[in-house]
Amino acid sequence: MLAFIARRLGALIVVLFGSSFILYNLAAISGDPIGALRFSDDREAEALIKELEEFLRLDVPPPLRYFIWLRGILGVFTGNVDFGQTRLRGPVSTELFAAIPVTIRLVLIATILSIVIGIALGIISALRQYSRFDYSMTFFAFLLFSLPIFWVAVLLKRYLAITFNNFLEDPYISMRWRITLGLVIGLIFASLFARSRRLFWPIFGALTLGMVGFLTFVNEAGLILNPRLGLVGILFFSLLICVGITFVSTGLSNRPALYSSLTMVPLTIVSYFGIQGQLNASTSIPRLLGFALITSAVAVVVALIFARQDRGPVIRTAVLSALLSANLIVVDKFMRTWKPYMEEDAVNFRPIPTIGQAKELLPQEDFWIVTLDTLIHLFLPTVALMLISFAGYIRYSRGTLLEVLNQDFIRTARAKGLTERTVIMRHAFRNTMIPLATIMVVDFAGIVGGAIITEQVFGWNGMGTLFNRAVSTIDLNLLMGVFSITATLAVLANLVADLLYSALDPRIRVGGGK
Amino acid sequence: MKTKHTVRVAITALASLGLVAGILAPAQAARGTVIVHDTNPHSGFNNAVQGFNLATNATIRYLRFSDFNYYGQNRNLIQNTTLGTYRVTSNKSTDFRYTMTVKPGRLWSDGTPITAEDLLLNHVICSREYAKAAGLGDYDKDKLPGMAFNAACLLSSSYALFNAGEPILSSDKMSITFRFKQRFPDWDLGLPSLSPVHAYVHIANGKTSLQSVAANEAARDEFVKAYTAKDTKLLKAIGDIWSKSYNITTINPATTNPLLWVGNGGFNVVSATPGIGGSVTFKANPRYNSGPAVTGSIDNVVIKYVTDGTPAIQALENGEITMYNGQPTGDGIAALKKLKGVTVLAGRGATYEHINPRVGTIAGQAPYTGVFAGMSTRAIDLRRGFLLCVPRQEIIEKLVHVMNPDIELLNTATVMPNDPRYKAITAANGSKFFTGSQTSLNNRATALVRKHVPDALTKPIKVNMLVPGANQRRADQAQLIKANLRKCGFDVALDTQVSWSPILIDSKYDVVFFGWQSTSTAQSGHRAIFHPSGSNNRTAADGGASLNSMLDRIFGVSLSDKVLQTEFIKIDRKIFEYGFSLPIYQHPSFAAWDSDLKNVKPRDLGPTLVWNYWEWTY
Repeated sequence: MLAFIARRLGALIVVLFGSSFILYNLAAISGDPIGALRFSDDREAEALIKELEEFLRLDVPPPLRYFIWLRGILGVFTGNVDFGQTRLRGPVSTELFAAIPVTIRLVLIATILSIVIGIALGIISALRQYSRFDYSMTFFAFLLFSLPIFWVAVLLKRYLAITFNNFLEDPYISMRWRITLGLVIGLIFASLFARSRRLFWPIFGALTLGMVGFLTFVNEAGLILNPRLGLVGILFFSLLICVGITFVSTGLSNRPALYSSLTMVPLTIVSYFGIQGQLNASTSIPRLLGFALITSAVAVVVALIFARQDRGPVIRTAVLSALLSANLIVVDKFMRTWKPYMEEDAVNFRPIPTIGQAKELLPQEDFWIVTLDTLIHLFLPTVALMLISFAGYIRYSRGTLLEVLNQDFIRTARAKGLTERTVIMRHAFRNTMIPLATIMVVDFAGIVGGAIITEQVFGWNGMGTLFNRAVSTIDLNLLMGVFSITATLAVLANLVADLLYSALDPRIRVGGGK
Repeated sequence: MKTKHTVRVAITALASLGLVAGILAPAQAARGTVIVHDTNPHSGFNNAVQGFNLATNATIRYLRFSDFNYYGQNRNLIQNTTLGTYRVTSNKSTDFRYTMTVKPGRLWSDGTPITAEDLLLNHVICSREYAKAAGLGDYDKDKLPGMAFNAACLLSSSYALFNAGEPILSSDKMSITFRFKQRFPDWDLGLPSLSPVHAYVHIANGKTSLQSVAANEAARDEFVKAYTAKDTKLLKAIGDIWSKSYNITTINPATTNPLLWVGNGGFNVVSATPGIGGSVTFKANPRYNSGPAVTGSIDNVVIKYVTDGTPAIQALENGEITMYNGQPTGDGIAALKKLKGVTVLAGRGATYEHINPRVGTIAGQAPYTGVFAGMSTRAIDLRRGFLLCVPRQEIIEKLVHVMNPDIELLNTATVMPNDPRYKAITAANGSKFFTGSQTSLNNRATALVRKHVPDALTKPIKVNMLVPGANQRRADQAQLIKANLRKCGFDVALDTQVSWSPILIDSKYDVVFFGWQSTSTAQSGHRAIFHPSGSNNRTAADGGASLNSMLDRIFGVSLSDKVLQTEFIKIDRKIFEYGFSLPIYQHPSFAAWDSDLKNVKPRDLGPTLVWNYWEWTY
């Protein structure tokens, strides 16, 4: 095992060295770093060119210049790593450390969401193999696979931002739209929940009618400009969450789990009223995390009261229900911030942005407005990234689960008389996760590389944008800075994926020599 | 069930009431924010530091500081008489002086009155002699950061080149006279600018907040004392602040030192975030009285960086930017024109396209022996024949008019079409030789070519042309040139190179075409292009003593507009006579902005959009 890791690390160094050398030289010969200065009639152009040539060390041929750069990088072994300076005369490291969190913020949420949604849909799809739902999922997966992100981005900006903002000038949902939205929502959820065709139409009808009614209520109550969950909303969603979590996690027949989970509903309502005073402008992330901690503690106590034996799953269910349920209070607060947010001069009743990470000129001292602003700016790029990446997870998880379901041990489990929920969640799903886990590791390493096109079209100054700038302005130090981080992570992720595979799947051994 | 229904009706009624109240509430205050789009993010806040002379950095400075003059919409230099005046006070060939006078009552943004002492720092920064004498480092172009002030002007500015001795302050300290060892052209394009020296002194003394006016004046006195005594310690500390503190891209309003941001322009910078998606935020300077009076109602300006193309156009449509400042493609222009409530202006850029046959060999290159080499009658006729046959009108009609139908043939190498002298110059500069219907031009070209190569039409002359790559318009342009030149006896081989700019000097190309970027109305830039020792002479054109002396004259001597116009005509005549170069067109440019914003007047010199910010109004 140790020999395996050592061998891989050795290979890693060789790969990084070789690829960085090739990249450096390719980039160096790909354009003219002096560029526009050559065509300027600026009287100082000549002096500026000379100065720039010196600054960029253009007197040294690229293959040798590479080693000047490498010398700075090798400082990593003496704890004094030097990524050099960008063409804009700032240290590359500053730019990298500013860009990495931006990229992670952008891509992490999208990746997690696409993994969760993709796997969930993939599993449902596999469980109803060759049903209409399965076919339509396959259709959508291939459709989304084939969409170019810049085009998706343009469409999203057009319809979810510009058109929606225009709609907000006179926010009244016409009857035609209410019915259309009702039909769409009805179709989606009816396909998700109806296990047989007999059930489909009643569920579809009820959901469509419910949706039309709900949208009418939204219209009449002015909820678009002034949204909130309110007591009724929190009660409804809290119940839904608690029952849903229990169903997936332990099954409704586990009475202690169900009861402790349901206890979270009144607790949520109580804390909804109790906590409002704490949710003011000076709220901070640590304070919210503190509340989450208290909530979890209460949930554990409740679970311990209800459960006498086999406490683990009950505690898990209660804590999950409590956290998600309490989260509704925060969601409600954000919804209430919507109106003051739109009234800000900087927002000017056009809340959905098409570009950037934050609006200028917002009151920086108001936690809710600033956080809502961040979330709204995340909205479109996250949707765009999700749309194109979760299709892969649908296909992977569907395929893997189908393969697992055909295994002998599943038949054995069914023959033992286990409930279908246990068979799927405990026996099949866990084994499905093994190949998926390795894909995820590599995906997460890719996160830091950024989404070059997405960042560019949505105006995010992350790693992808840095990479793009480095290539287009022939900024070698910056390019190599981005490259060293992404390449190292990519190679390391592959190593971790291999190790993880062997850890998860006892049939596989790394470096066993057999 | 019944109660629930009642509750719902009640909630609905209450909410509707709230909605009505919301509608009836007073309308929002008038808009006061202008968001200016840019595609290239800033790299720092002092564009006079070596390596920081980006266009965006200059735009930021333009909003923060008012100078003694500025360009108007049509390349006309306007004296900023609100701030003060300047005039030549000695015009001898060995003693050239100008005096700058600050009008009393002008204020820095912290309330301190501006005096001519605030112009002294320019001498400290740009004079090599002073720096040496004050122990601020000896000028060495290879070791610039060794200087206390790492200033771009040390390299080759006319101040550094011609300065003679220290400037003289008047007794009331409101005027200052700068001295030079000779007359030099374009002196009014490089006037010294004001620096808030009192703020630098405060920072050097460890202050981190704005001080009282009395304390500020005391600090300025401290600076003047240090300046006079050549106090290395304080001047070095100021140099450090000037050279390093502004080389940042992020400004956090909560932690930054407000003393860094004292200015006398219409806007104060308050915060900044780096890169694409980033921005610089400005607030109106309530004490602004150093430039044209503000007539509009703009409280905030934001410079926001958005990728060009659809992202920027959609951001404009969504109200996230007020002004679009990019270089759209044909599709982009169509999209811009479709937007409601947006004014689109097809204007002119600062670049002009031209085509140059190679004349000689650039030092360090293989000898050029092609058809155009030298100054023999044959070479000159072939160059002129080639240039005559370049289908300029067709290029403009087919490739340029889609962007801006107002752009016409460019007929001079010395000024741009929106220059007031353009008409007079083109009427007399010999450009008539190259105008007319393309058929007649082709006939004249063919005659010239056949004089030396009788069988050119059957056995065309092979010519190798460098085509700048990654640019559709230039690729199309090359095809049009190739097609028409075949009719005049030239077989043009197109060599498209993405990295084309360094190889313009390569002897293997008989012809090159590209654009020159015009950054000011300085008269002296032409020498670099057409003089054999000029740094921008890519074709080794050498017009002999008469042309070279004319180029030396406009480079070295300050000339009146009238004399200059005559000189330009003479220079153009020589360039056309020898077939050195033929201008084709001024590049089109585009600006688009929210029609609610009035008085936006884009121009071709930078800063293109914000130059008249004082006139903006909603």
